[in-house]
Amino acid sequence: MRQFFSVQHLCLLVTVLSSAITVADESSVKYFDRHVAPLLAQRCLSCHSGDEAKGRLNLTTQKTALRGGESGATIHPGMLNESLLWQYVESDEMPPKKPLSAPEKNILKNWITNGAVWGTEIIDPFRFSTDERAGTDWWSLQPLKPSVPPTSPNSGWGKNPIDAFVDARRSVAGLHPAPEADRRTLIRRLSFDLLGLPPTPAMINEFLEDTSDSAYEHLTDRLLNSAHYGERWARHWLDIVRFGESNGFEYDQPRDNAWHYRNWVINALNDDMPYTEFVQLQLAGDVLFPNDRQAAAATGFLVAGPHNTTLPANDNMRMTMQQEELEELAGIVGQTFLGLTVNCARCHDHKFDPISQKEYYQFAATLTGVTHGERNLKVKLSPEQLLRTQKITERSAAIRAQVEAIERPVIETIIRERNHGTAPTTLPPTPYAAWNFDGNFNDTSGDLHATASGNAKIEDGCLVVNGNNQYAATTPINIALHEKTLEAWVKLDSLSQRGGGVISIQKMDGTVFDAIVFGEREPQRWMAGSNSFVRTQSFQATEESAAAERFVQIAIVYQADGTIIGYRDGQPYGQAYRPGNLQSYEAGTSQIIFGMRHSPAGGNRMLAGRIQRARLYNKALSAAEVQGSAAAADINYVSRSQLLAQLTPAQRSTLEQLNIETKALETELAAINASQTVSMYACVSTKPGITRLLLRGDVANATEELSPGGLSALAGGSPNFGLERDSADADRRTKLANWITHEDNPLFTRVIVNRLWHYHFGHGLVKTPSDFGFNGGLPSHPELLDWLAQYLKANDYRLKPLHRIIVTSATYRQASRFNAQAAAIDASNQFLWRKSPVRMEAEELRDAILVATNQLDETVGGIGYRDVRHYNFKGSNFYESITEPADKKLRRTIYRFSPRGGSNPFLNTFDCPDPSATTPDRASTTTPLQALSLMNNDLIFDMSDKFAERVKRSAGDNASQQIKLVYEIAYGRPASDGEIKVSTDFVEQHGLPSFCRVILNSNEFLYVR
Amino acid sequence: MHPTTSRRDFLDFCGNSLTGTALASLLLRDKIATADSVPGAAMGVPHLPAKARRVIHLCLFGGVSQIDSFDYKPELAAFHGKSLQSEERPATFFNQIGLIRKNDWEFKQRGNSGLWISDLFPHLAEVADELTVIRSMVADSANHTPATFEENSGFRLNGFPVMGSWISYGLGCETDNLPGYVVLPDARGLPAGGSINWSNGFLPAQHQGVTFQTKGPIIHDLFPSRSVTSEHETASRNLLSHLNRSHLHAAGTDDSMSARMKSYELAAKMQLAVPMVSELNQETAATRNMYGLNNEDTTDFGSRCLLSRRLLEQGVRFVQLYSGGSFGSPRINWDGHEDMKRNHSREALRLDQPVAALLKDLRQRGMLDDTLVLCTTEFGRTPFTQSGAENIGAGRDHNMYGFSIWMAGAGLKHGISYGSTDDIGWKTVEKPVHWHDYHATVLHLLGIDHERLTYYHNGIQRRLTNVHGEVVHEILA
Repeated sequence: MRQFFSVQHLCLLVTVLSSAITVADESSVKYFDRHVAPLLAQRCLSCHSGDEAKGRLNLTTQKTALRGGESGATIHPGMLNESLLWQYVESDEMPPKKPLSAPEKNILKNWITNGAVWGTEIIDPFRFSTDERAGTDWWSLQPLKPSVPPTSPNSGWGKNPIDAFVDARRSVAGLHPAPEADRRTLIRRLSFDLLGLPPTPAMINEFLEDTSDSAYEHLTDRLLNSAHYGERWARHWLDIVRFGESNGFEYDQPRDNAWHYRNWVINALNDDMPYTEFVQLQLAGDVLFPNDRQAAAATGFLVAGPHNTTLPANDNMRMTMQQEELEELAGIVGQTFLGLTVNCARCHDHKFDPISQKEYYQFAATLTGVTHGERNLKVKLSPEQLLRTQKITERSAAIRAQVEAIERPVIETIIRERNHGTAPTTLPPTPYAAWNFDGNFNDTSGDLHATASGNAKIEDGCLVVNGNNQYAATTPINIALHEKTLEAWVKLDSLSQRGGGVISIQKMDGTVFDAIVFGEREPQRWMAGSNSFVRTQSFQATEESAAAERFVQIAIVYQADGTIIGYRDGQPYGQAYRPGNLQSYEAGTSQIIFGMRHSPAGGNRMLAGRIQRARLYNKALSAAEVQGSAAAADINYVSRSQLLAQLTPAQRSTLEQLNIETKALETELAAINASQTVSMYACVSTKPGITRLLLRGDVANATEELSPGGLSALAGGSPNFGLERDSADADRRTKLANWITHEDNPLFTRVIVNRLWHYHFGHGLVKTPSDFGFNGGLPSHPELLDWLAQYLKANDYRLKPLHRIIVTSATYRQASRFNAQAAAIDASNQFLWRKSPVRMEAEELRDAILVATNQLDETVGGIGYRDVRHYNFKGSNFYESITEPADKKLRRTIYRFSPRGGSNPFLNTFDCPDPSATTPDRASTTTPLQALSLMNNDLIFDMSDKFAERVKRSAGDNASQQIKLVYEIAYGRPASDGEIKVSTDFVEQHGLPSFCRVILNSNEFLYVR
Repeated sequence: MHPTTSRRDFLDFCGNSLTGTALASLLLRDKIATADSVPGAAMGVPHLPAKARRVIHLCLFGGVSQIDSFDYKPELAAFHGKSLQSEERPATFFNQIGLIRKNDWEFKQRGNSGLWISDLFPHLAEVADELTVIRSMVADSANHTPATFEENSGFRLNGFPVMGSWISYGLGCETDNLPGYVVLPDARGLPAGGSINWSNGFLPAQHQGVTFQTKGPIIHDLFPSRSVTSEHETASRNLLSHLNRSHLHAAGTDDSMSARMKSYELAAKMQLAVPMVSELNQETAATRNMYGLNNEDTTDFGSRCLLSRRLLEQGVRFVQLYSGGSFGSPRINWDGHEDMKRNHSREALRLDQPVAALLKDLRQRGMLDDTLVLCTTEFGRTPFTQSGAENIGAGRDHNMYGFSIWMAGAGLKHGISYGSTDDIGWKTVEKPVHWHDYHATVLHLLGIDHERLTYYHNGIQRRLTNVHGEVVHEILA
């Protein structure tokens, strides 16, 4: 691929040579700009420019050039031999690796001799490409060139313009096209390519029987219209955007709702959404269409990568982690849509492409409002649902009144008798918010209502949480909280649990919190939990022994001076301590959560137990007040069993009936509410901070403030977005999306058409699909690349017309048979003298096996399936591979839940990529581990049985009939007599399932030709 | 689901199911891993004369305290109970800077070399003359997972190939019967992140770490998940081979299809080699006891050390052993935030005797001459405790500024220490060694110029050492 480079470079050199000969006015500014500046830029500036110029000689400006460097003045205008520059150049000491040619030296000689007149003030070191780096003149950055298909040298060969381009280039290389492949090969190839699935015998017959001239074109249309097309091509896209469904890093929490993005990609491709829109929605769907579920799902792109939730207490460390994730995201955006490795300019100007460090930070600034998180999107209820909700609410209120009417007099009697006829005297302090979990999650003293997550339930007047994923959380607290008290009555499922939170006040993202926590650092003890333990110390109290048997009151008081005091059942709990200053929570930034130490849910943060009542006070209660609260609760507390004992059998029976009805209503209401909310892992838009350029990428070296912007090297929209430094996230990402998808951005279209070509042929016209910069490949067919890009634009940026013209070309329809002569000239087949055969990708292989065995569940969309056992061990999440069930149909592999720490060994072995690494070009390896997997895996044995059952059902007990059918299904062709004979012997001796197992392992099954 | 099968069954199974030719070459160190099948060869590997041919990497998870193990600081006792006299707020994980605490284990000079090693590792102290200690390590993160990723891959993010993968990529494997890069996790659990820790990243799949499991089949899908008679298996393989030959004839020559046919023969050899190499009972009782297999505390790490030696003998290129599982409480790794004495005593007990035995065993078999043993931890621990500002706590927090690792074996100066930290063992002050330098040095010992072992990925010829790394020549023999 480098050979193209030398051709191009030669052209540049020729330009320089010819211009040297046609010097018109040697002392003019024009001469400098046309001849001297390009020469300096190409041969000198890679070392002699910028702040870190070698020998302190900076040749980009007149001033610094004349001033010279460490060795003194470099240029003496008019005095050639006195000029250091000339001495170094003439003696070939500079440039060090490759001295200047005689004509090049002449340019400098003429220039200095004639007074060294400077032209344009600053020479942009990025202006020209050199041997070592790309300049803004780099091929891929130039506008698309109008491209007319050449006349085909093999007259008569070819079906559309693509063939003319390919044929012309191939002829130059001295190669000839292969004949068209036979029809069975074509349909198998096309079906795998477009759908990722083998054709069924019925599809094959339909195609073979269609004798019309356009049979193949009709087949193409049928396949492109299949919903399986989106599944196949979404898989390619997910490789590029490194889509994974867990956070990675230490905790590796699952992202249970990340699948919306996967389905969005599938649907968008099936709908043939214009590529411009496809990209805009992924970058900014949530801000372009704020209430649109699909647009929100599209932003799953922005949060598809790894994300570290193990946050150190140290600020610099946290900021460094943020910068690293930002670099990763900026890199993915740049590589995916522009084929530019923007990320390489984080610590210094890009070493190979014309992207400055400053531009990196401007580009990255467009993405600093992107935050990982779960979004709950509201969907409107139907009129029927609304009516039903109203009915349920009314009925529930009536039931509550009826229950109250039965219970209240009895309770009052019990309390009165307990207090010898007097009313309770101890008045509890007034809370800011109180939750009694009396049939709902509401705040009974205000409007800080909570909602349940993970199906946390209310039972017998308690919030019940399971220690796994259940908790309740309130809306944001509308007041600022400084000194405060948290209080709860709680009963634990077990005293051995470690780390669960009872009640916690936290910032909405869970990064700062104060909580009542059980057993985290010391077993069986309560503690004041806090982020990174900054306000946590041991109360040095005795072990909790009662909380699994009965409810205990726990209160933690946070005083204004930072002192933290614990109470249990109204009595001081161990020693108070002062870890530092009080943590305040600004109005609107925090919330209360129950049953969880802090968000996100999962790990050892979750409590298993029951919370009967909870209180938040916006003041530090005194010891007497805490005691009063405990006593009041105690005095007023009537247990369920006490109450039941005092009721008549008729009353008990009524209550029981009402209880059953209530539960049914609650279930129904929960279902309606659940249908109203869609949770998805997507981009959560936050207010971006101001971006500053970081010297050497170091957060401790922040310098100038920058506005969000694009890259100046690219043709198309202006890199100046006209945004303020503190502009909103919505504006930043909208501008970015528009700039990237600008109709004059040449990379935007070149990159996507090349990706399509890459997947259809196994290699792109540019062999590095995500890198169109200096280190990437040069196009093997540049005119074809631009023609395809224009074809995409002419077709409204829709991908299906592009697929269609590619796969209906004669180039694509060539046979794959090996040709030694051609291979000697072009082993990698870049000039397309045949269609290269390919081994199925991991997902195709599993899917093809499921189709062959009739075990494929063809459902499109939905949540997907899991082939891992997820467990949490000491706060980290693990995903152990498990055997897939053999007794039901299985989903396509794209629907596999893909946690980063839990790869599937079978798929991995067949080069299914690590979901943490962007993979624009999968490897296709051949290893003994693949052989072991495909011979020995559970799935293979199970599927061989299913395959055999299926065949027996249709073909009966006759071995040769069975074998014929196996060949039809697995290979898409009839078996020859010789093959039937060999196979019959085997089937008779070892059975049909074993035969199927061999077939599923065979090359003919695994390769698509 | 997977039937456990005795070794005899394995042998029956494999012996009968292999073709005569494959059987004949079984366990012979045949030369199929030819130069042109190893990607590194195309890059001119070896670039340098190789001192080491294979590597064992002991990966101590959680952060081992340098001042309690290899970095002797006689003055630390004088600072005991004093506060850290520094303007700077150290970047630790929990940001709780307590008072300085002296080492909890006494140091002595060991062996002929007089290398300082504490009583934390009494057995290892006996082989002090084999060790090359670097006491001036520096890392870029004091957060476990990014730090561990950096230790193994040179980058702090997910998705980059680890050193074992790079070495497998550069040098291939000396045998076709076993994977090039084998991982032996702690019996108490996988390190946090699971398979992320031995990812091939963007390198081809054959370079990923293959875990040898203690439960179920030793490696995934090594044997049929159902019981299959050997006769049956032979017939199946023969039929497969017949089908593939006919197909190749019809489709025309194709390297990748031929390679796939070959891979089934190699798979059959692997089925014999893997159980054989894992059969620790073939070792003498003396050897087994030396590795501590007769003792509950040491049997896990001891078995894995012994297995490592056997894997290397059979031509595996890189074996990685983990000491420690995931984080969180109660601890099952070296992360001594709460109580250093309890934590480090327990962890050291598990590996001290086995590792010393491994070094002795490799030496007595002559293997240490061309084997590299690496013992690393993602960062060290702070000389001040993790506690209130006025307390001497019992635990220590993460310290990325200065910590110790050791190497042993091929091409190294033995019984030396290199570099130093300040008086209290907190920050490196002399001859800092970054992970990139360490990686460059390991590759150098294997005959690889770290700047020339590259793989193109998205715009960059990627290296294990990113754009950094200097070989630490002073520790080389």
